[in-house]
Amino acid sequence: MSVYVVGIGLHPARVAEHGLRLEEMGWRTARAALDSAGATRRQIDSVTLGACDELDGRPISSMLMTAPAGGYGTDEIKVTDSGASAFALAYARFLSGESNFGLVVSWCKTSKTDVSSVMRLRGDPFYTRPLGIDDTVADALFAQAVADEFAVDEEEVSRRVAAAYRRAARNPRGMRHTTPSEEALGQSPLVALPLRAGQRAPFSDGAVALALASEQFLRTNPGCKPLARIAGVGWATDEYRLDRQRLRALNSARAAWNSALSQAGLQGASDLDCIELETPTGWHEAAYIRAFGIEQGDKVTPSGGSFSQNPTFCTGLINAAEAVLQASGRAGEVQRLGARWTAAHGCHGYAQQGNVVIVFESVGAVQ
Amino acid sequence: MNQTVAVIGTFQTDFKTHDPDHTFVEQAQIAAAGALKDANMTPDDIEAIVFSLAPTYFMGVADADRWAIDHIFGAGKPMVRVHTGGATGGSAVQAAYNLVRSGMYRSVMVVGAERIAETPDAQDVLNLIFDLFYERDMPLSTNTSVGLWASGYMARHGCTEEDLARVAVRARRNAMRNPHAHLKGIITVEDVMTSRMISTPLKLFDICPRSSGSAAMIVGNMDTAKRFRATPAFINGVASRTTTYWIGDRMTATTDADFTDFWLAGETARACYHQAGITDPLKQIQVAELYDPYTLMAPVQLERLGFCASGTALRLEREGYWDWQSGAVSVSPSGGTLCTNPIAVSGLVRAIDAANQVMGTAGEMQVRNVHNAVATAAGGIAQFYNCTVFGDEPRGH
Repeated sequence: MSVYVVGIGLHPARVAEHGLRLEEMGWRTARAALDSAGATRRQIDSVTLGACDELDGRPISSMLMTAPAGGYGTDEIKVTDSGASAFALAYARFLSGESNFGLVVSWCKTSKTDVSSVMRLRGDPFYTRPLGIDDTVADALFAQAVADEFAVDEEEVSRRVAAAYRRAARNPRGMRHTTPSEEALGQSPLVALPLRAGQRAPFSDGAVALALASEQFLRTNPGCKPLARIAGVGWATDEYRLDRQRLRALNSARAAWNSALSQAGLQGASDLDCIELETPTGWHEAAYIRAFGIEQGDKVTPSGGSFSQNPTFCTGLINAAEAVLQASGRAGEVQRLGARWTAAHGCHGYAQQGNVVIVFESVGAVQ
Repeated sequence: MNQTVAVIGTFQTDFKTHDPDHTFVEQAQIAAAGALKDANMTPDDIEAIVFSLAPTYFMGVADADRWAIDHIFGAGKPMVRVHTGGATGGSAVQAAYNLVRSGMYRSVMVVGAERIAETPDAQDVLNLIFDLFYERDMPLSTNTSVGLWASGYMARHGCTEEDLARVAVRARRNAMRNPHAHLKGIITVEDVMTSRMISTPLKLFDICPRSSGSAAMIVGNMDTAKRFRATPAFINGVASRTTTYWIGDRMTATTDADFTDFWLAGETARACYHQAGITDPLKQIQVAELYDPYTLMAPVQLERLGFCASGTALRLEREGYWDWQSGAVSVSPSGGTLCTNPIAVSGLVRAIDAANQVMGTAGEMQVRNVHNAVATAAGGIAQFYNCTVFGDEPRGH
């Protein structure tokens, strides 16, 4: 059985979305995905949400957000790890035959949230929290570990970040931040050794929705056209501890990558035409391309990824949307010519404790 | 080809208000290890994990599931946490079902823990689930919401507070046979009626306790089941549904999701029964483990799940229709959520108790000749609902 992405909704990237409440963002994005799919709300039989109570600032945030995201009278479930993780569960729901047409929806209004405080709350109360470890410190520990593991230096990181901003500047769906110089990045303040402020992807507000459909739905709804086939979904989780051995091993990232590519029948990165990586910092890109065996080239994150927009928590699912756009030839100014196999990566948790990799195949190639 | 999904192992701790002897991750580990032992499996036999965890505000550790990864033998494996409020445990079972049925994994552990009493008053947290602009100032809480719900139900169907009280009496009596139950005992209608008023018409004994503890269930495909369990329970039907956040919109004359009679539960049950091949629940289902944190929620679910006509469940309660062995269907032989409510895993415990009845491993709670059992869970203010049918043979879809 094959499962297809048939619609995409992306909220316009903003540093801070002051004009809309969170539920209005969710509704507009879900509506856009339905319109993109040429389908109606009444055809939805499942909604899989990727949302975080702590970032949303309310317990059971799905109570407010489910209906705007399309969940009224339907099956609904919320995954709290990340938007990309919600995609993984949604895929299982389709493969199991429990759903024929549904939405995966995720969001984050980072402008309304003290993200670092939420991340500090993730620390266990006995050992980690008293150390004051937040996302900045965790990312810096990750940077230290991968610098040691892969001989990554600051110069390479600054080069990667500047290049990511340049790619992001061409992405019509992104923030189009001004591209900083490598020199400015290298001289930006140290926030936690060896991480510099300029090396971190700036947060933004955003929301994303993908409409998924089964083969059966496509047969009975010929007006709904697939954008891409889901060829593989891999996901895995690392240990909780933040020691160097865990951080430098990138075990969950490698496991997710290998699983997704294996399901897709691909041998390695060279079989992919583009790979959208979630990179909270430039150090992450340096680490992931090595862990995944990606040779440097234009195929790495043509959208600009996290440096294009970074509503943390749902950035990985936005990568999935970008990868689908690539596979369907709709990525606009950042389109990779003839992209057939595309991949999206998402990471989540303390120092990327969890990783998800999704592989898409263009539909033209399979028809 | 979709996979048949079987329950291979279960475990639950004893539940109590506080568990000062264990941390959250130790609680989770106890459950994970217990389920593995019950299934005669090792951690390497588990391919993926679903973590059952509702609001972390109760405990104050965000994404506490991540903290527990090493303790539940999850490192290196796919793991996802689901959270649908009170419905979480049921949603977690259904997510695990999806992961196995899809063919993605051969064995999945559902595990979770709750220590709700870490917060001085869980109601302070639960009060924040209501909309900031319209409903929170009323002031709505879970207790007042269900109090209003109960008032509406009693007015519509001509029931009394004493009728509701009998639900608590049966639940506490059933819990006497449940070694894990938080509240148990032989109480009378008068005891319920004279307990402290919380929110009219609900008294203290009409309402569940705040429970701490943990639970786990292992599900797998047929090959895994054959290897590890001689008499597994089979997950033959799953369904979940959601309705509007706005309670007022469920109380209008034109609503399609009537709050008072909990139409959402009926829609969910119909979908679940259709999958499971249940056409006459009263004849085909022997045990109903209901998510009933308030006395009201037992009768309203029994009516919507097709065990009796609308407005008759409390009259039938009086006549013993829902009693443990002698009833037409044994309703919450564990004592149900009225006696034990560790929110993060309440739905999971309902599923475990239902599956155990089918497997014949319910101990003193065991009902005779159980072929099918249904477990439910509800979240939000009856906004999310799920229903799972367990059978002693693979049936239905």
